[in-house]
Amino acid sequence: MENRIPVLEQAYEVVFVTALVILAIFLMLSLIRAIIGPRVADRIVAINMMGTQTLAIIAILAVMKHEGYLVDICLIYAMTSFLAVIVLSKVYMGVYRQRKEERAGQEKQKEECGYGNH
Amino acid sequence: MEIIEWLQFLLGSALLVLGLLIFLIQMVGVFRFKYVLNRMHAAAMGDTLGIGCCLLGLIVMSGFSFTSLKLLLVIIFLWFSSPVSSHLIARLEVTIDEEKEQHYKQQEITADGAVVTRVPRAREDEDGTVF
Repeated sequence: MENRIPVLEQAYEVVFVTALVILAIFLMLSLIRAIIGPRVADRIVAINMMGTQTLAIIAILAVMKHEGYLVDICLIYAMTSFLAVIVLSKVYMGVYRQRKEERAGQEKQKEECGYGNH
Repeated sequence: MEIIEWLQFLLGSALLVLGLLIFLIQMVGVFRFKYVLNRMHAAAMGDTLGIGCCLLGLIVMSGFSFTSLKLLLVIIFLWFSSPVSSHLIARLEVTIDEEKEQHYKQQEITADGAVVTRVPRAREDEDGTVF
């Protein structure tokens, strides 16, 4: 993409910078969603959204600055954010199961203590 | 040659703006829906269609080169990864949700064939209109 037309060069610059600013605003909004999200799944969805928008920002920068290697970083980022979502959901499921077992164990203990007192 | 470059610019920026519009719809949906499983519906749209349109516009802008091939690879990877992560998040939500009857309508068929419907408590008083 080598432009010899100065008007076209300026037009590309304007479009890219506007898109980057809008994506930055969306990134802030999804961060707000992640903070106020009442449930755990809400926060993970917001993190996933942030990853996608960061992906778009990196790709736009790669084309804007004519740096081809930034697209490789984009691919790696996609893999990392996918992995993060999977690991987070698995970890929270494990944490939930552990808490449930602990609660069941405590209730059992309470019942046994009660019978012992009588 | 000049007109081809202008066409490239116009088509590319139109696709980029379409992708940004889909991101906007995603943000509006994420802030307006009331429950995670509804919100995820809006969020998954940006994951596939939004970034797909953005990267397609960038492919058109960068022309026929190795960069556009790698951008295509990113799109294909997202097509595979986004449904998987959505599925995992939905399963997490259904697993750890302890007050399901407050969040969505549930139907159950008992042993004698009767259908039991449980409507969310907040909407019980509405006449038959269940979301």
